[in-house]
Formats: sequence, C-alpha cells, structure tokens
Amino acid sequence: MPKFVLDGREISFEPGETVMEAAWREGIEIPHYCWHPGLSVAANCRMCLVQIESGRQMAMPQLTFDEAKGEYVPATKPKLQPACQLAAAEDMVVSSTNDEVKKAQASVQEFLLLNHPVDCPICDQAGECKLQDYYYEHQGTLKRKLTEPVHKPKGVRFGPTIVYDAERCIMCTRCIRVCDEVAKDHVLDMRERGNKNEIIVAPGRQLDHKYTLMTEHVCPVGALTSRDFRFKARVWFLKSGEGVCTGCATGCNTHIDFDPRYGKVYRLRPRDNEAVNAFWMCDDGMMTYQRHATDRVLTPTSGRGEDRIPIGERQAIELAAEKLEGVEPSKLAVVLSAQQTTEDNLALSKLAGALGADRLYLAALGGWEGDDILRSDDNNPNRAGATQAAGGATLRTVRDLIDDVQSGDVQGVLALGWASAERLEELAPLASLDAVVSLSSHVGALVAAAEVVIPVADVFEVDGSFVNAKGMTQAFRAVLSTPAGIEPGWQAISALGAALGKDLGFGDLDGLRKGLSDSAEAAQ
Amino acid sequence: MAVEVKVIKKPGRTVAEQVYLPEIAKGISFAAGRFFKNTFGPKAKKEIATVKYPEEKVEYPERFRGIHRLTQRVDGSPRCVACLCCSTACPAQCIHIEPEEYEPDDPRYGYERYPSVFVIDELRCIFCGYCVEACPCDAIRMDTGMHMPPSTRREHFLYDKETLLSIPGQDGTYLTANPRHEPGDPTHPGVDRERGH
Repeated sequence: MPKFVLDGREISFEPGETVMEAAWREGIEIPHYCWHPGLSVAANCRMCLVQIESGRQMAMPQLTFDEAKGEYVPATKPKLQPACQLAAAEDMVVSSTNDEVKKAQASVQEFLLLNHPVDCPICDQAGECKLQDYYYEHQGTLKRKLTEPVHKPKGVRFGPTIVYDAERCIMCTRCIRVCDEVAKDHVLDMRERGNKNEIIVAPGRQLDHKYTLMTEHVCPVGALTSRDFRFKARVWFLKSGEGVCTGCATGCNTHIDFDPRYGKVYRLRPRDNEAVNAFWMCDDGMMTYQRHATDRVLTPTSGRGEDRIPIGERQAIELAAEKLEGVEPSKLAVVLSAQQTTEDNLALSKLAGALGADRLYLAALGGWEGDDILRSDDNNPNRAGATQAAGGATLRTVRDLIDDVQSGDVQGVLALGWASAERLEELAPLASLDAVVSLSSHVGALVAAAEVVIPVADVFEVDGSFVNAKGMTQAFRAVLSTPAGIEPGWQAISALGAALGKDLGFGDLDGLRKGLSDSAEAAQ
Repeated sequence: MAVEVKVIKKPGRTVAEQVYLPEIAKGISFAAGRFFKNTFGPKAKKEIATVKYPEEKVEYPERFRGIHRLTQRVDGSPRCVACLCCSTACPAQCIHIEPEEYEPDDPRYGYERYPSVFVIDELRCIFCGYCVEACPCDAIRMDTGMHMPPSTRREHFLYDKETLLSIPGQDGTYLTANPRHEPGDPTHPGVDRERGH
C-alpha cells in the first residue's frame, strides 16, 4: 500500500482515498464539520485545512505590515488545502498541526462563531457539540465582532420530527446530503448567501421521509434537534450502552443513551457498523426505545380480564407448572417469539423438547413496510434466531395455532413474548383454554389471552443475541438492570422447567449458548 | 553506661488552692460581675456576643445567601430556561427541573424552553451558591436575605416553581438586575430577512 506522512506519522492509503479518509481509518481526527465518512465531500466548512509541506509550495498573496517602512507591503503565505478533498499521494508530507494550519483553524472557528447565538444553555447539542469542542481545542479567544449578530429564524418545525434553528447552523450541508444520498429524497436545500444562508424544506413539502432523524444525527451543531429528544435530558447526564435495534430484521447497531440515575432510556443513536447499517438508522428504529418503558408487565398475574389478580413470583411459576402438567404433551403448543433473544427461544425450545411437546409456533409482528435502504421487509429482529433455536424445525404461525385450538388439537399454550400480529379478538379461542401461560416483558394480545402471566426482562435488560436477516448473529449486553423480582426469559423458563421436574441441561448463559451452537449446526 | 536522669518537678497546688473556698468565691464573683454588668449596666459597656433572637436580629452581610428565588421577565414568565446548569452544578443534588417547550403559537415561543417543574429541596440544600454561579440567565438568586421559615413537615421545605417565583429579592423586586437579550424580548431586533434585507 502507498503511504503518505501526516504530522510525522506514516499513513497508508488506498489509491483514490483522501487525506481525511485515510487519517480517519487510522483513528486520527483532522478537525472537520462538513465531512462525514458516510457522505459525499462538500469541502465547505474549511475547518480541515492542512498544509502540504512536500513539493512546490503554492503561495497566496497577502499584505503584511512593514514596521520599518510604516506601510503594508506585498508578501505571500502558504496556500492551505482542505484535507477532505485532497487526494492522498505517495510520499506526500502533510501537516495538520503547524502554525499556519493552527492559525487557519482558529480563524475558521472564529468565523463560524461570528453570528452564533451562543445559547448553549438552551441547546440540546451542548455537551456533544463540535463548536464547543473545537472552540476549546482550536480557538480559545474572544469574539472580536462587537456588533449585533445576524438574526435568522429559530425553532422552525421542519416536519413531525425535526426542529431547525438557523442561527446555530454553520451551513455544512450534511443534512441536505443525508436526505439526498441516504434517504434519496431531495427535500432539504439552502437559500440565500453568506451570513443570510439558511436551510429550507422544499416548498409544499415537510421533512417527513423515513430517515429524518439522521439529519439531526449528522448535524455537528445544535441547528437540527429531534422533537422527541428535545429538552428531555442533558447529554452530560447520559451514559451509553451498546445494543441492537429491535425494529426490524436488519438489526442496526445502536448506542442506547440512558440516564443511570433513573434507569431511563432517552434515545438511540446509530452505532457504526459497515457490515450492517454503516452509519445510519431509520426513524422507526430510532423510536423503538420507547417500547421499553411503556406497557410493561411487572407483576405475575393469574386469571383473565376482570378476574386477573396479582400473585407471587414463586406462586406464578408453580401455578404455570400445574396448568401445563394437566395438558398432554402432544396437545401442548409452545410459541417462540421473533422479538425475543435467541437465548430465550432456545431455552423455551429445550423445555418443549424435555416435555415432549413438538408443536412449535412462532409469534411475530407484521404490518410494516420495508425499503431497499435499511428497512427489512420483516419487522422482527430475530425470526432467524428463533428458527435456529428450534433446531431448524418448521415453525407454524399464530394463525395456525388459532386453527389448531379451534379444531381441538391444542389444549394448552406456553407462549413467549408480547409480540403478535393478531389482535385479542382473533385470539379468542386461546382465551377459552385453561392452560395458557405467557412469559412476557410487555402487555400484548398473547399476554391478555393468557391465564398465567410471568413477567420477564426486556431486551435492554438482558445479555443476548439476535440473528438478522443476513444470518449474522449479533450479541449484546444488558444496559439496564432488571426491575425487582424479574428475571431474563431464559432464567424464568429454566425455573419453570425445574417446577415441572425437568432439567434443561444448562445452569447459566454460557451453558445455554453451548446448546445454541449445537442447534445451529443441527439447523444447517 | 550510666543513664542520665533529669528530674522534672510536678507542679503542685498552693495551700490557698488546696482549700478551694477562696477559688470558688473568686469564680462566683467574676460570673456575678459579668451578670450584673450585662443585665443592668449601660449598653456600651456590655461584654456579650449573643442577641435575644428572634426579638433582636443581627444584620447580615450584603451578600448573605438566603433561600432561593426565581426571577421573572417583564411579562411574568420565569426567566429560567430549564437548562439544568444549576442542578448539574449542585453538589447536594437538591434541584429537580423538568423542561418544557413553549408552543409555536405562544408569544413566548422565542424563549423556547421553560421549567414546567422546578423544585428545590431546601433541607438538602447546603447554601453554597453554586446554582447562582452556574445560571446563565440570572434566573436563580439567593439575594432574598431570608432564612427558611421553620416547619415540622418535610414537604414544607420542597419549594416549587410558584413559591420560588413569588419570593422577592431584598430590594423588593421580582425582576433580575441583568436582563438578557433573548429572541422574545422587545429589545431583540427580529429576524433579518423579515426586516427586508
């Protein structure tokens, strides 16, 4: 591989790569606003100016003050190049830290802040804002302009998800490029020139495609803010965990931002993964975090509808075991879930095997539109994982289950998870059975139809893995702690197995996963 | 080798001290002297540091940090923008704020955010004044010159937004001494492109 030198360090590059890209791959950050690894090059912010020290120096004419003569005289200074647009060349020597470059960075930074309102206290970006970071790193001086700044529109609602503040905007055009290149929808553009520049939505349109939150995600300053996250939290209070999106079978990698003081999740952010989602996520995926705290099942219950009463945890397991024991194994339906982790599904299929029940079904969500950007046609994160956990056995749908219950082939149901495409009215045949046990983290039609409900942990609270539509297994760790008295699904299933007098052959997650690799082999 | 020994004489008591009575009389006469001087003597000659609180009060220094107040804008809205800088700076973590957004049709939309909930636990507060230092809007002040009114109920020490807004400063004003230039203010020139630029 050819090499060039950046600040005394040799960096190898693929032919055609820019200095910025090559440095970024090596983990070196050349200060920049408008450049983004996932977007085209605009080279308009001028923050990444560097000097090429090798070769013939390009000179820029300027006037400098001559003390001796007492007047300005013609002189030159080196011409700097934007690193994001500068193709790397063999043996090129580039400096991003010499005095000329530092001066340019400080000047660009001061220029970008000339008309900035400096309303950091009310700005959501404060704490993760590049203007703030680079001010400390590269400027550190006071503003020299003392006149009234240019005032531009603030709090403009671009659509149902995004609010725009033109005064904070540095016109890097990242949002325009995200709409053009990721969402393939040219809905944003720029109007006016110079310090009157502002981003506008196409006339008659709203910013309402499926990837609007990505405009906020790429915005290096606080110009675009998400209406969902707006004013909810300050980012310096948030900690970040790593997860996998539960929105669809693509399995985009996420950062889960939560406040450790309250154990509350505030937002998801895409986590870079070239093999899965690159740098992006769709709006619906970004909003899946809201499921976590809404409609949770937190207490075990028995009975249906009006007669539903809370019971103890131990009591619930025993009651469930008692109900299931009353059903012939050949007439017991075990429902896996495409929304639960592979581990939970595996534990359940092991329990089914130990009981001798071979009627396996799969509950999954429906009613979703995919696209050819990121969104898969299947809005269940783990259909492949559940199939794998069942050892490749064919999994019938919940609709088949309803038919089987009606024909009398099924007299008991053990269901995992809350997610099913069917409504409660459609599940009415299930509600007429006595032995219907649900293990679920949230309320749902399957849970409402159950006689005994055992709460389990949510996906943010467990170690587990999903298998996405491409067949990639993506493991993740628990980010939040489970609510009191609630266990991960596989542990609850293990306890249920013990109450039924069956040893499922695993004691911990590692033991369970050993079984997973066996069944994955069996599936192939 | 012989060890050198230095004998130190133990301080003893004199016969007069040993008898005790003269010493007791001396003590009583000193205390009685102070008692009569401070109770009946002329004010200037009194040698006493305490005052008869709460009938008498010591004057506090000008920068005394009393209970908090929230300053108001001219239109009566809280100057606070719920930025959470004060609760971030607070070492006692006694400030709880929930930010809210003004709706676009609200005349105060330009101020963008305001606290829908602002509660200070005055019992937990250590009166360090960091919140006042941190506030970018001069919205929280401790210039009330007031102690917390005593109470036997804990809830009475949770001061909510309305209470904090209703406490005036020492000079009797509810406004701030440092008005800030905000988009909603009458002093704000307005958006340039709407002024025909």
